[in-house]
Amino acid sequence: MRAPSFNLLSWLIAIAALLALPWLVTSDYYVNIASQVVIAAILALSLNLLIGFGGMISLGHAAYLGVAAYLSIYLTAHAGFGHLAGALIAIGATTVLAMLFGYLALRASGLGFLMITLALGQILWGVAYRWASLTGGDNGLGGLKRPHPFGLNLMDPAIFYYFALAFFGIALWCIARFVQSALGQSLQGTRDQPRRMRALGYNVWLIQWLSFVFAGFWGSVAGLLYAYYHQFVSPQTLHLTTSAETLLMVIAGGTGTLLGPVVGAALVVILKNVVSAYITRWLILLGVIFVVIVLFMPEGLVPGITRWVRSLRSRPRADKAADTPSIAKDSAR
Amino acid sequence: MTTPVLEVTGLYRFFGGLPAVRDVSMRIPAGERRLLLGPNGAGKTTFFNLIAGDFPPSQGEIRIFGQNVTRKSANQRTHLGMARTYQIITLFSKNTLLHNVVISLVGLREIRFNPWSDLRRQTPLWDEARATLALVGLEHLADRTVAETSYGERRRLEIAMALAQKPKLLLLDEPLAGLSADERQDVQRLLQSIPRDVTIVMIEHDMDVALAFADVITVMQHGQVVVEGSRADVVADPRTREVYLGH
Repeated sequence: MRAPSFNLLSWLIAIAALLALPWLVTSDYYVNIASQVVIAAILALSLNLLIGFGGMISLGHAAYLGVAAYLSIYLTAHAGFGHLAGALIAIGATTVLAMLFGYLALRASGLGFLMITLALGQILWGVAYRWASLTGGDNGLGGLKRPHPFGLNLMDPAIFYYFALAFFGIALWCIARFVQSALGQSLQGTRDQPRRMRALGYNVWLIQWLSFVFAGFWGSVAGLLYAYYHQFVSPQTLHLTTSAETLLMVIAGGTGTLLGPVVGAALVVILKNVVSAYITRWLILLGVIFVVIVLFMPEGLVPGITRWVRSLRSRPRADKAADTPSIAKDSAR
Repeated sequence: MTTPVLEVTGLYRFFGGLPAVRDVSMRIPAGERRLLLGPNGAGKTTFFNLIAGDFPPSQGEIRIFGQNVTRKSANQRTHLGMARTYQIITLFSKNTLLHNVVISLVGLREIRFNPWSDLRRQTPLWDEARATLALVGLEHLADRTVAETSYGERRRLEIAMALAQKPKLLLLDEPLAGLSADERQDVQRLLQSIPRDVTIVMIEHDMDVALAFADVITVMQHGQVVVEGSRADVVADPRTREVYLGH
């Protein structure tokens, strides 16, 4: 029988650790932090589809998080919809919004694309802020009670964590499949050589738009979980700072990798929630960490650490080769 | 009279006030080997880009296989049976040669919109890509990344990617540029092995190679067609000499 590969083994260890987390971390506080990490990771994974695999840097991704959260809370807590209907409508409507935003943003590329996504996100923030009769304005919108799917009590931190983790697992699996699919590979082609892709028969715009919508869909799923977790949403959720924070997660963890955004999300959420309890100026620390990452691992934490481990592994071999007498080397040739 | 594979009528392209292509008309029947000659800046590559659909003409009409494609996008033209190579090599350098050809094959198939099925498991596609690489003598390098190959091998890969799409009209933009003498011979042999049902339009500066290859030659200068005709006619025409030697 073949021994399981290192890759499979590391995945199994990671899954086991994620599943055992509520037992390993006994405090509810840390279990809640883990839930936040998982939700942020879904959002970061979806943004990474655009940035890492599509080469489209968006500064408006918080729009999907916020709109889905607003819609689910409004529909469920204020418009009399059931949880399932509210969730489905929130995700559906947010995905339709992503279709529209994608149509508008993909009229430009590069910096133009970034500016349009930023503008669209900020328009939504303005709407949430000013349309107080619907959104509660600066006070935000609350009143949502967590659902009880299949009789599960989501008010229990550990159960909510597993609930969010299940969505994270599905998101990770779907995004991984997408990346390896023909459409996902085409997206990576449009990132590297759009002109060549057109000449090969690919509709570059359509590939980017479909990916944009797919990313928007997963952003809305994160928004739904965000609403369930916080039971509250405010204009800040839609703000540029949330989009920038998500962008930071993706860049810090490593763009164009599946694990990178997850690690980036964990880093930012933990710093934001845990470190901020001890260090008042935690944002300075976040800035310093980001600068260090950019200086020493410009490709991000996950690809950077992988590179370091590889170079450490190859070093003994290189040293051994250097120690080999030249005659032995000659005879070996 | 049979429909020409490529028909261009009164084509113009201006960049600002500068005319890069001026009143170019051309009719290329099926199976012809057409050579575009001309000094640098003659407008040959701009003309190629207009045919390929990289940008629209300022004026004029382009027909491929009888269809008016003047306003059609580059990818739509490719689906009609046109393929091209680039003067500056444009490949996916981090990917393997095999993967590059697979991407080329997927471009014309419905699977390109499939967000679910794993491309690595599409065995027939990979087999076909390997066979295409064998055709251009690169099968032994199939699993190497493009970055690990020589310039000549990349030129051949460009041609392989175009041939993988089984085109009826092939546009080759300086396929021999920057190659060593041995590599030139390899690519030359490869071009000569392309079946006659594929119409080829080629830009090339190497006169010896190009003249041996072409049925009809078009000489361009300042965005215009100066001379057009058979090899003998073009070589004998004093305007060809003027374009190349300036006297």
